[in-house]
Amino acid sequence: MRLLRSITEQKLSWFIRSLLGISLLLIVGLSYSYHKINKQLIYFSEKVNHTQRVISAVKETSSGLYEITFLTNSFLFLRDTTYINKSLAALSEFTRITSNLDTLVSDNTVQKQRIHILHKSVDVFREQSMVLLNAGEVSNQSDSFYITYKQLGVEATYIRKLLSDMTDTENMLLQNRLQSKENYSKQILRYNWLIMLVAVIFLSSAFLLLDRELGRNKLYRIELENKIEALARSNSELEQFAYVASHDMQEPLRKIRSFADRIRIKFGAELPDEVNMMLGKIDSSSRRLQSLIHDLLSFSRTVNSGSEAIRLNLSVPLGEARSNLSEIIRERNVTIHCDTLPDLEMHPGQITQLFQNLLSNAIKYQKPDRKPVISIHHELVTGEIIPEIKPAYQELHFHKIRVIDNGIGFKEEFSKKIFVIFQRLHDRNHFEGTGIGLAICKRVVSNHNGYIFAESAEGEGACFTVYLPADSSLS
Amino acid sequence: MSTRQILMADDDADDRFLVQAAFEDNEIPNQIIFLEDGEQLIDYLGSNVQGSSPLILLDLNMPRRDGREVLKAVRSNKSWNAIPIIIFSTSNAPDDINSAYELGANCYIIKPSSYEGLREAVLNIQKFWLNTATLPA
Repeated sequence: MRLLRSITEQKLSWFIRSLLGISLLLIVGLSYSYHKINKQLIYFSEKVNHTQRVISAVKETSSGLYEITFLTNSFLFLRDTTYINKSLAALSEFTRITSNLDTLVSDNTVQKQRIHILHKSVDVFREQSMVLLNAGEVSNQSDSFYITYKQLGVEATYIRKLLSDMTDTENMLLQNRLQSKENYSKQILRYNWLIMLVAVIFLSSAFLLLDRELGRNKLYRIELENKIEALARSNSELEQFAYVASHDMQEPLRKIRSFADRIRIKFGAELPDEVNMMLGKIDSSSRRLQSLIHDLLSFSRTVNSGSEAIRLNLSVPLGEARSNLSEIIRERNVTIHCDTLPDLEMHPGQITQLFQNLLSNAIKYQKPDRKPVISIHHELVTGEIIPEIKPAYQELHFHKIRVIDNGIGFKEEFSKKIFVIFQRLHDRNHFEGTGIGLAICKRVVSNHNGYIFAESAEGEGACFTVYLPADSSLS
Repeated sequence: MSTRQILMADDDADDRFLVQAAFEDNEIPNQIIFLEDGEQLIDYLGSNVQGSSPLILLDLNMPRRDGREVLKAVRSNKSWNAIPIIIFSTSNAPDDINSAYELGANCYIIKPSSYEGLREAVLNIQKFWLNTATLPA
């Protein structure tokens, strides 16, 4: 169920990401498109400006022509020589204006040809004007004068015609350019509107999805907070229980033992054997109950009760455990082989307990006539080889520590059951104990975010494998 | 043989009985006075003690005035602060043990869980506190 949810969550998050990604791309595209439009519009207005400049230059040329004609005519009719100089000045100004036209229409072949023709006509016009102006000073009204005068008129008309054609062409160009500018803007704007609409739809659906997810997350968080609170409450109840168990439950038990003891010591000699035997049963039963309560307490106290995790070599707690067991190790002549052990983050007291329980089990569950040999191996592994590991931890590194003995072992089918509190595989007459040791081991390993497994075949020794995280993960 | 008086404050009648039995079974001649809580102990100290100071066996958890309060009261009283005090409690919690010593206890004994153990503990008290150690006058 949870797995399913996490898969759909993952899909959803990818969906939202793609929505946002596409929207982002669309917005980038839009910005680029607007940039292009801007450039195009600037280009269009430059073109329009240019056309208008050409038109005004053509007008200037036209009025220059009028001025020259007027001045030349005035001279010819009035015979006032001041007009000669004015006319000559106008002529040179006219030459400048026409050459200016040259550069303005260099991008249009039709107009360029016209300019070419215009130049030729202007040259002819200027020559004829010069002839008339020079001739007018000396003599007048000869035949050749008339012919030149007439030709000048024809040339001027031709130039005027050229100029008017040029103006028409430019006007048409202006019209076209304005039209295509308008068309372009209309079309691209429609297109941009469409893109913007899509982007807005994508963005708002991503927003809606995110909003829904945030709402759902908030619910989860509240649920989680409630659970944490409930857990804290049950933990504090457990602590109270531990106190009650340590004090109030042990109290009457101590009395039962003490009084039974006292009866035996004081009156034992006078009582029948059967009564003494039964008093002995009371004593051993209450002693057993005492050790059960004691073990239950030490189990419930095996939590990370405020102690800071520290980085330490595993051989330190192992050494501690060996020294706690030194008496039985000497007594049973136990051999322990051990690899070099790594440093890791740990609660040292708990790890000492772990080693102590594993070693004492290895020594305890041994054939009486055999010399116990225990070997401890270490290797660094990745999480994926650990059975039942959470998928998120598969990539992490773990220290794999194996504690192998040559004892009596156990049947494979019990390999899980032995970690359950108060579960025992043997009756008390053969092996003493309450069945708490491996339950504590399991708890210690869980406290360190690790894993513990047991494997064995009956009569062939047992192997306990502990995986502890190598990357510090205790916080 | 020391004739020092022993005072024991414990609210549990069974424990008082068992300790008395242990004293008897060990044939310890010293006079032992039983008090049922801290209040009674302080009253007794205030009114009845003359001459040499007693040896106190003190339970920690008692009604009215518990062992810790008795420790504080005795240690802050000029004429009592030299009295040797042995804490005799069921608690094996490190906090209880540390705080008892911090408050001025001379010794901390966890009540043994069997009568045999109790008898031995009482015998050891006699051997050390009454016969070996030199106590204030």
